Amino acid sequence: MTDTIIVGAGLSGLSAAIRLAQAGAKVTLFTFGLGGIQLGQGTIDVLGYSLAGSRPTPADTAITDPFAAMSQHLTGHPGHPYATVPLASIRDSVDWLAALVPDLLTPGDGVNHMVPTALGGLRPTYLIQPSMTWSNPSSIAVVSPRQIKDFYPRLAAANLTKTAHVDAHGYHIDLPARPGEVDSSPVAYATALDRSDFARRFVELVANAIADEEVIGLPAILGLHPDTAESIARALGRPVVEFLLPPPSVPGMRLNVALTQRAKDLGVRVVIGSKVTGFTSAGAKVTGVVVAQAGRDQTYPCDHVVYAPGGFESGALTMDSYGGVRETLFDLPVVGATAEDLITGDYWADQRLFACGVAVDSAMTPLDVLGQPIYTNLHAVGGLLAGAVRWTEKSGDGIAITSAVRAADAIVSPGVTPTTNERTR
Amino acid sequence: MKRLQTDVVVIGGGSTGIGVLRDCAMRGYRTILLDRADLAQGTSGRFHGLLHSGGRYVVSDPESATECASENAILTRIQPEAVERTGGLFVVTDKDDPQFGDRFLAGAAVTGVPAEEITVAQALAREPRLNPAIQRAFAVQDGTVDGWQIAWTATASARQYGGQALTYHEVTQVHHDGSQVTGVTATDLKTGETVSIDCHFVLNCAGPWAGRITHMAGLPPVAVVPGRGIMVAMSHRLVNTVINRCIYPADGDIIVPIHTVCVIGTTDHKVTDPDHLEIPRQEVQQMLDAGEDLIPGFRQARAVHAWAGARPLIKDDRVAASDTRHMSRGMAVIDHSTRDGVHGMLTIGGGKLTTYRLMAEHIVDAMEEQLGTPHPCRTAEEICPGNEAGHNYLITHRLKQREADRMESPIICECELVNRSMLVQLLTEQPQASFDDLRRQLRIGMGPCQGGFCTSRVAGIAHEQQVIDEARATGLLKLFLEHRWIGLWPILNGDQVRQTALDNWIMEGTLDIAHLPSPDDVEPDPLAPMSPDPRTTDPTSTTSPSPDPTANPEVSSRSTTTTNRRARGTRAASKETK
Repeated sequence: MTDTIIVGAGLSGLSAAIRLAQAGAKVTLFTFGLGGIQLGQGTIDVLGYSLAGSRPTPADTAITDPFAAMSQHLTGHPGHPYATVPLASIRDSVDWLAALVPDLLTPGDGVNHMVPTALGGLRPTYLIQPSMTWSNPSSIAVVSPRQIKDFYPRLAAANLTKTAHVDAHGYHIDLPARPGEVDSSPVAYATALDRSDFARRFVELVANAIADEEVIGLPAILGLHPDTAESIARALGRPVVEFLLPPPSVPGMRLNVALTQRAKDLGVRVVIGSKVTGFTSAGAKVTGVVVAQAGRDQTYPCDHVVYAPGGFESGALTMDSYGGVRETLFDLPVVGATAEDLITGDYWADQRLFACGVAVDSAMTPLDVLGQPIYTNLHAVGGLLAGAVRWTEKSGDGIAITSAVRAADAIVSPGVTPTTNERTR
Repeated sequence: MKRLQTDVVVIGGGSTGIGVLRDCAMRGYRTILLDRADLAQGTSGRFHGLLHSGGRYVVSDPESATECASENAILTRIQPEAVERTGGLFVVTDKDDPQFGDRFLAGAAVTGVPAEEITVAQALAREPRLNPAIQRAFAVQDGTVDGWQIAWTATASARQYGGQALTYHEVTQVHHDGSQVTGVTATDLKTGETVSIDCHFVLNCAGPWAGRITHMAGLPPVAVVPGRGIMVAMSHRLVNTVINRCIYPADGDIIVPIHTVCVIGTTDHKVTDPDHLEIPRQEVQQMLDAGEDLIPGFRQARAVHAWAGARPLIKDDRVAASDTRHMSRGMAVIDHSTRDGVHGMLTIGGGKLTTYRLMAEHIVDAMEEQLGTPHPCRTAEEICPGNEAGHNYLITHRLKQREADRMESPIICECELVNRSMLVQLLTEQPQASFDDLRRQLRIGMGPCQGGFCTSRVAGIAHEQQVIDEARATGLLKLFLEHRWIGLWPILNGDQVRQTALDNWIMEGTLDIAHLPSPDDVEPDPLAPMSPDPRTTDPTSTTSPSPDPTANPEVSSRSTTTTNRRARGTRAASKETK
């Protein structure tokens, strides 16, 4: 039995933990916070846009088949995280994840879905939650409680008429998540809507507010429980679609809860509030990680480490006031960090800083500047990896899952992992 | 075309122009102010926020020091809501000459600027983050002042006397018949309409842009040499007192706690085009180093934004000494009747926000002298509208207000505690406002998240109020983020990188705003905010000159010319060269 420590509880950390536990490994996951899934949109992106370095404009066409588009995308983006894995493994990995939470993610059918955003755009993504199905309706009623400050149904509807060529109307209802509140968070609504009495009032008010539109659009607040959205749709008697909101993301929380539970069910020990602040090593092996705990630091020995701390957004990658870019725990070399113009004055350009990260081989082992593994039993995954500005191309989730699966498989069966990129064969 | 008649046209809606508008209106002149952008969008909104005690000038410019001391007291009384009485310290760091402190105290005594030496221990007790290696400390009556608040409340006062301020009106022509000014033509940038104004007098208060106006009038050229200075705002108040370095005025010698941030400033470099002010990386580094001298660990604090302002320096050898005899130190007035034979026009350069009211008084006096119709100035006596309660600003005001109304109106901008009703009220009053116009009045988007959370809410609310349609809402949202970026990218480091990554995840990742349709030219954008010129920006250079002005002759000479940095006129300049 192998003893693996995972650092980080986002999509890549949880995916690696589950994959390893499924293979019988003994896994401990340390995380400082609750992971990044609930800061995202709660769907699984693989590849939504391939802009070849140009600024995004409303004229861009979203990618329909991300797997078919991948090869060309990688040609234009050398050093991309997807280029370190066999292309077939991307779809396999994402399908594997979807099967873990069948109630929550619709199975992938090879093409991107378009999902509506709070501002009334349609955004490409690969795996969606069933409550986000956009069925190209001819008309839609966009409805929201007035007390939600991150969703304005009239603006969403007005933009949707242009972006989705749908007859869209915006409506407000008056329903605080808790009595007297004027400023209720999506999470407060989700918690309330999981209760049948509140859900009934919600349904009643929505039904009274709208006309005879074909579909009802609602902010993504329809319960933390995976069944809540469906029961609300049933009560309303019309298809319902959830619109993506800024964080905290209720769909992201659903996914986070489900994956964390899955990991725990498989025997993964999840230790939250535990910042990993250091490590011990012997030669080319990491022998343990140091965790900051109440009163003292504690060193936990391990055979393998999957390092899944995220990128700049989590603070795992930093840039100091002199422009020095660092990886903060293992001091791994950061690819691209010494380039000129890491940040430019064009807001819409991809800032090269945010493509900086750690370079890895196909087993997700971090590489030094000469391309040699630094620690043979350390695997870096997810947002830490160099080579992509994930928010513009909409690829962060696929990179997280694929790299986590590769790392886990390399730990479980070291010999099986191909060491060269099959794409180039 | 719209045609208006008035007595006086004021060109330029910075503090000087607004002060002049108010003074003219109070003296009974029909007065119209024109600005091609929003009020106080140029230099008056692009300084560090210091309300001078006069301490800065007690050695270098005693006359200015005395004026600052008295104007400080007047503004604190007539526009109290714009002023926070933070107090100030002048500190001698371990790198500075302690003897300068003696000159400082002597100068303070002569100029009447209240200043008293306190012990280092007392200074550190008051400001625990101060460099413990400081050698001496002096307490003064510095405060902080919100240039936008000054502008709006003075404008409101002017309006009570019939004065009009027309923003987003770009002057296209100044008319004269060879001997007398007859009027001004402007374009309303928001509607495209031409506005023709007949008048007897034009007061050119365009600051760094004053030379363009005289050129437009077909008058001999006026040499305007804008001096660019950068400021860097840190995410919170590292100090609650204004901290000045007790040295001859130099770069990076002041930290000003204003609203929720503290601002370090500034630099001084001559530029040619005040519309395009860069924020060079090496100057940002210079500010961070200077901050480190005053507050150890300054570099590890979180920088949230930077900006550049242009000092309105006019150099004109043809100005007769008599032209400035009424004038405040640091101000230059060009009388085009004696200089160019055209009556009814004055061009004003120089000035500093603390003494804006006094400058206006002198300018209007000069105008009245030419007109032969003297009236007493009453701007120092009358309290500006909205300030009747007489309370000075406190950092806790908004917190107290939100505690009181949090069950009535949701908070739209958590960083700056702006709620929905504040926003809706302003949108009702100013339906054509851009999000930057709203920002200057409400402070939306000015806190640590730099608009990452509030901007889409503002777009939604403005659309919901039927003030704007969805295309303009989306366009203004994008424009606001582009504008925030101008002041963000030059200082990006540490926690602000982390914040930016989160903001990008939200805006581009989750909401995918780039792919929402919007018009290309959503808003006239004359200088708002000033864009860096990519051709001259050198983002790679990180070397900074030594903060010690004696160590580097180049810096030393620049420091000398910086003596009266925001306030140099012909007379000031000639005095300095003695």
